Amino acid sequence: MSTIIAETALRELVNTWMGQGKHVAGPTEVRDDVVLYQWLSRAEDLRIGGSPRPRNSIKEFVFPRHEKLYGYKLEGRKIELVETPLPETEQIVIAARPCDAAALPILDQVMNWDYRDVFYNRRRNLTTVVTLACQDHDAHCFCTAVGSGPDDERGSDAMLFNLGDGTYEVRCLTDKGKALFAGALQPSERVGEVGPGPEIRLDLDSIREFLNNEFQSPQWAAMTMRCIGCGACAYECPTCHCFDIADEKVGNTGARVRNWDTCQFAIFTAHASGHNPRSVQSQRQRQRIYHKFEVYPAKFGETLCTGCGNCSRVCPMGLGVLPVLVAMQGVEQVEPSEYV
Amino acid sequence: MVANIYQPDLMTVLKVQQHTADVKSVRIAFADAQRAREFSFRVGQFGIFSAFGYGESTFNICSSSNWKDYIEFCFRRTGAVTEALWQIEEGDTIGFRGPYGTSYPMEEWEGRNLIFIGGGIAMPPIRCAIWYALENREKYGEITIVYGARTPGDLVFVDELDEWAKHERTRVIRCVDPGGETPDWKGEVGFVPHVAARAKINAENAVALVIGPPIMIKNTLPVLAEMGLGDRDIYTSLENRMKCGVGKCGRCNCGPVYVCKEGPVFSLEQMKKLPDDF
Repeated sequence: MSTIIAETALRELVNTWMGQGKHVAGPTEVRDDVVLYQWLSRAEDLRIGGSPRPRNSIKEFVFPRHEKLYGYKLEGRKIELVETPLPETEQIVIAARPCDAAALPILDQVMNWDYRDVFYNRRRNLTTVVTLACQDHDAHCFCTAVGSGPDDERGSDAMLFNLGDGTYEVRCLTDKGKALFAGALQPSERVGEVGPGPEIRLDLDSIREFLNNEFQSPQWAAMTMRCIGCGACAYECPTCHCFDIADEKVGNTGARVRNWDTCQFAIFTAHASGHNPRSVQSQRQRQRIYHKFEVYPAKFGETLCTGCGNCSRVCPMGLGVLPVLVAMQGVEQVEPSEYV
Repeated sequence: MVANIYQPDLMTVLKVQQHTADVKSVRIAFADAQRAREFSFRVGQFGIFSAFGYGESTFNICSSSNWKDYIEFCFRRTGAVTEALWQIEEGDTIGFRGPYGTSYPMEEWEGRNLIFIGGGIAMPPIRCAIWYALENREKYGEITIVYGARTPGDLVFVDELDEWAKHERTRVIRCVDPGGETPDWKGEVGFVPHVAARAKINAENAVALVIGPPIMIKNTLPVLAEMGLGDRDIYTSLENRMKCGVGKCGRCNCGPVYVCKEGPVFSLEQMKKLPDDF
């Protein structure tokens, strides 16, 4: 026994949600061959599945690119702080990839160890995530190699399975998911399924061993020499969460804001003295891999990577997590041309 | 409502002291009486201090945790934020978040001889521990302080060095780098590790806190080992660029540890387990 919904009904439901004042985000074809997760203004802009896959991740809906942490007013020598109100609008992310949704419980841990990030938690609580079980992986995908997969339920409140005839099986996985689809689903005998996903496999233990034993290996420079330090990998990554805190002041009012940042920039770790613990690009590439496959796993027990492949999909130099891991494993070096 | 962890307390500037051509220390108190009563910290912890309109910077809280009415921090005029902090005067308001990070294990050090070794601008994070030990003088053995800078004009908290030396069983050894001495310099001439080596420090059952430029630390470690100190007897305080101070912004890790949460205080034993990511 399953529950299904027709695509037309699903799109009507999206319009209904928007009509209720909820914010809805999903994949949209912004121009030929470029699909992005964006806020939707009408259900017909939603693109469910297919390729190319969205270029960005869904993290920006719970962890915005730019966010005001608090404001301040300066009056002579007096300073008054102005609290930033917490968001209150319910939001739904629809037709997300499971690898994007799986990143959310991973981010939850960082945003809540000891110190709780109230802005992140509020958005996270207001968000219901509906994923589409994945049927179209490409050469950059490696979810199955890092403990995820095409129907990974982590972070999904409900999951859609394309039944191929204009209907979807809907699996409600959490109370939020059940509430979202309450009254909208039809009973059915049909059950959706997905294939096994990407074939590539990685030995994560040997990767961690390499990271710990070969921290100073000259191989790092060899593997990552072509990185130009643009940081696109981190910005499109669903699990990268590093941020900067900066001041923005105009006249007598200002705000302290946080912006996405990346370990790929030299200034990220530059000391005021001029010293930089990661002064060359290969050290910064190593940091990104080391954080995902050693630092985070050692602290939280899982990998800071869902294998979505966004990093290598957007990298202008054919780098990204997978090409580096493959090179690290001593598997034959993959030429950049195979990845662009 | 859960508090916004990024929002600072407003602090009133009580006093600004200039130490060198480019180093000042600032004494601040909570503008809010309730927060002032609630606040406590342990020596070795740090704060994130801010000039509104310019940004935040990370500094050790260099006052003793026994001082209840205010805290102090010390900085070198280096970038945009410290330039703005350089301009503040008594009565101005700045921001403070903290305390963050680990602290010196002052209780574990009770009953032992203490060796404090510092170079240049690294005196503030040692100063808080020195005052704490002197204020609990009976709990510690001999206290030896070796403090050096390039020139006499680069030493900070010089007026306090004399005060410390007045305490019982407390020795203060001042030094400047060779060539940095002035005609009226009365202290030692030599690099910190060399001066420490020839100072005949009572190192029996001793613990050392060593903070300074990497080259000073590197050359001081063999001197301490020669004196018989083990890796668990030697401590330092690391610094790294930070933004959040609470383990989220992702930049201060040294290998597997976040300096803001698992540091900044590390024993040499802990340091030796870290990869070369300094």
